[in-house]
Amino acid sequence: MNAPKDPGLDTLRFGSGHTVRRIEDPTLVSGRGRYTDDLAREGLAHLVLVRSPHAHARLLAVDTEAARAMPGVLAVYTGADLVAAGVKPLPAPPAAFRRPDGSPVVSAPRRGLAHEVVRFVGEAVAAVVAETRAQAVDAAEAILVDYEELPAVTSLEAAYAADAPRVFDAAPDNVVAEARVGDAAACDAAFAAAAHVVALDLVNQRLAPSPIEPRVTMAESEPGTGRLLVTMSNQMPTGIRDTLAALLPGMEKSQIRVQVGDVGGGFGMKTGLHPEDLVVAWAARALQRPVRWRAQRLEEFMAAVHGRDWRTRAELALDAQGRVLAMRHRTLANAGACPTPTGCAIPIVLGPYVAPSVYDIPLVDLHITVLATNTAPVAAYRGAGRPEAVYIVERLMDEAARATGLDPAELRRRNLVRADQMPYTSATKQVYDCGEFEKMQAQALALADWDGYAARAAASAAKGRLRGRSVTTFLEWTGGNALTEKVQVQVRADGIIELTSATMPMGQGIATSYAQLAVDTFGVPIDRIRIVQGDTDRATGFGSAGSRSLFTGGGAVRVASERTVDHARDLAAQALEAGVDDIEYEAGAFRVVGTDLQIGLFELAGRQPQQHITVAAEATAGAASWPNACHVCEVEIAPDTGEVQVAAYTSVNDIGRVVSPQIVQGQLEGGAVQGIGQALSEQVVYDASGQLLTASFMDYAMPRADGFLDFRTVFDTSVPCTTNVLGAKGVGELGTIGATPAVMNAVVDALLAAGVPRTTALALQMPATAERVWQALRQRRK
Amino acid sequence: MPALTLTLNGRAVATDLAPTTLLIDLIRERQHLTGTHSGCDTAQCGACTVLVDGRPVKSCSVLALQVQGREVTTVEGLPAAAGLPDEAMHPLQEAFMACHGLQCGFCTPGMLMAAAGLLRHNPAPSDAEIVHALEGNLCRCTGYVNIVAAVRQAAAAMAGGAGADAGAGAGAGAGAGAGAVAGADRATAAPGTPAPWIPSARAQGATA
Repeated sequence: MNAPKDPGLDTLRFGSGHTVRRIEDPTLVSGRGRYTDDLAREGLAHLVLVRSPHAHARLLAVDTEAARAMPGVLAVYTGADLVAAGVKPLPAPPAAFRRPDGSPVVSAPRRGLAHEVVRFVGEAVAAVVAETRAQAVDAAEAILVDYEELPAVTSLEAAYAADAPRVFDAAPDNVVAEARVGDAAACDAAFAAAAHVVALDLVNQRLAPSPIEPRVTMAESEPGTGRLLVTMSNQMPTGIRDTLAALLPGMEKSQIRVQVGDVGGGFGMKTGLHPEDLVVAWAARALQRPVRWRAQRLEEFMAAVHGRDWRTRAELALDAQGRVLAMRHRTLANAGACPTPTGCAIPIVLGPYVAPSVYDIPLVDLHITVLATNTAPVAAYRGAGRPEAVYIVERLMDEAARATGLDPAELRRRNLVRADQMPYTSATKQVYDCGEFEKMQAQALALADWDGYAARAAASAAKGRLRGRSVTTFLEWTGGNALTEKVQVQVRADGIIELTSATMPMGQGIATSYAQLAVDTFGVPIDRIRIVQGDTDRATGFGSAGSRSLFTGGGAVRVASERTVDHARDLAAQALEAGVDDIEYEAGAFRVVGTDLQIGLFELAGRQPQQHITVAAEATAGAASWPNACHVCEVEIAPDTGEVQVAAYTSVNDIGRVVSPQIVQGQLEGGAVQGIGQALSEQVVYDASGQLLTASFMDYAMPRADGFLDFRTVFDTSVPCTTNVLGAKGVGELGTIGATPAVMNAVVDALLAAGVPRTTALALQMPATAERVWQALRQRRK
Repeated sequence: MPALTLTLNGRAVATDLAPTTLLIDLIRERQHLTGTHSGCDTAQCGACTVLVDGRPVKSCSVLALQVQGREVTTVEGLPAAAGLPDEAMHPLQEAFMACHGLQCGFCTPGMLMAAAGLLRHNPAPSDAEIVHALEGNLCRCTGYVNIVAAVRQAAAAMAGGAGADAGAGAGAGAGAGAGAVAGADRATAAPGTPAPWIPSARAQGATA
């Protein structure tokens, strides 16, 4: 109601819906970013960790004597030292999660430094703090650890076997938690009566999130206050503060400040506290020196949390017309050696939220068992549960199309939740507020020329290549179940409007989007707006994860900006000696209607006793948003090498109202490349003894510039979200979620079209590397 | 301690240092130029790429003494190396901003320097040549789409502005009004034309 009647030039140029230059960019492209490793501190000491070479072993002794005597060494810590000092293990999964017998979830203590037992390769057993990093590395090599190796188990099948080695004694069967979602009996009846039943065994392999900036954590005593100041690369600084306060002996939240500068990518991995952060904080406290640890890439592969790692037997029951009657999952999910709250929530809670996806599936029976193994903990990675669940239903849909003889697009269309069913309650009790899935699908099929596929397949064949295609319709749940955000707006006399938020930038350009929303309300040039983030003394809240920031934090920007104009209008009325109802606001100035009497917003701020006008406001989204899309993918395979190339990729995305079009497109396409990476090349591999075989970018194959670059990406903004003030839907994870099944279904289609036997083609699991595809092609009948 | 002299971003630098000092440590820790980033410590990700005598080199895997007498350019010196004032932006930096060729920005300095090295020797690269030049640099955010577009645009701008905006339209002007089908359609080839296949140069070694 306070938006200017005439939007004005600045709103037209910089307001939401327009592509503007990101306000983050000039700093970043000129090398002036402030990532945690860039910060200088007087007297900075360096922390280096000694890590276990064994997947499972008893720690008989950790001899630190020689290391302590090395040049420059300030301290050496072991797990026993931290236990003796009262440093607690990281939070365990909440008791709401249950084991099969109804008893509470179990886990092994995830400590800053391992104590008595190590449970995965790379678990830290000792820390050295020295004057220089080189000295710390040298001293770490002088630490002698006496291990007694224990049997290890790394794969889900092995961990679930009857006589499997135990990862920890609290779980004799390695079962951490289990859940059953849906109606098993009704599902069984539906399957018994079905005209078609299809089943697939699917592996959603383990991934390494791999932001290019490794984790970096620095801790020190805050000058002046003596509080613990932690500076790090993280998506959730408030959670870090609160967790540290809970784990460090004798600390209160008020004694800790967490600051975050530029973040070189997060992707969910940088959400929670990692053990190393706790050790750095402890060391800085104990030594009263600034201490910094920067992960080497090897440490990121070994000890940063991983993502995915599910195995699922999935089944779909359909009637004779191809209408889905019921869906069953039997899923084993790997939580790693020290199961985390997130590691349990992803398969048990988040996956089921979206398991039926965009389809009107009346019955589900989702049986999920979370297992411990001697591997790094599994937690959030872009999508976190939604990519796994959507992969399952999309693979089933293609198999159902083959079983029924229907076109895969038509089979999907018959099962889509219709617009007239909204708001729709799914079989897993989720309420979709809006969505026009069929409209998105129709546009994508037209744009991708679905009906003209035969000619393209023939053209590929003429070049000696195999072609396959897929259509993927899907949605995702966003918001992280944290729907409230607070924003403080301060209009300053120096002509700056400063907005402070606890949501976090990590490359997604959220500061630019917030600035555009502020321009909508204030009608001033975008260079008047400053966004302050990453300081728990300035703002506290959930942080950025689960594609939530814009529709929660952006909503708070809108509300706080409008309230600021309202408050300033009162002040302007006093200054102009007019009634409030006679004051109008436009483009940075208040004017008495019908007169020349006016006062600028910033001048008004200068007239206040504090030289500023400050308003804080909170906004709460009514529910999660449900972004959705249709992806159409075509691949080509070189039969001589098995190499898969994405040949065409079209997506139509329903993401509600769009604030920053270029940023949204970047999220969708960059996200899709991560999803393609899972489908074609990425995989964390442990051998049976628990050794990590993929511990560098030479072994863990991330997409490079030689991948697919010609996306057709369209957004349809005609279906705004109905449960938040912006009408926006989350977008950060959407592209990743759709791309993985899109590519795999196209690969399977190409293999089947090329005459690869069904059992071989369906046995192909991700990543569809050249070697695996070539092996599959060798099974073709000559 | 051995003595090292070099030219760093146009300045003469003379220093004594331990023979084990890496070039990246000289740049970041001794010269306080923190735009050059360490992402993998092993020449695999390219975030640390700088120019040595005009050629891209991964500074995390080069000893500082290996650049004795050479000319080293980091991202901070990129505008000056093109004869621009320090506070100006190099056409590559302008193009990365215009094309949304960066998200988190951590890989960006390395991408810029790898691209600068390419354009120095090949002012009018094909897309395949751009891709080839960037294969030693990892980006986790952008999917490379807009990075390649940015290098293409910068090359055009540096060639004299003709067609400088070609390929830049990543969503520019995409409307978001109710009912609008918006977004950019960057595809220039007909559907079904695969991206050119480029032999992969996975481990392009650091040279000095």
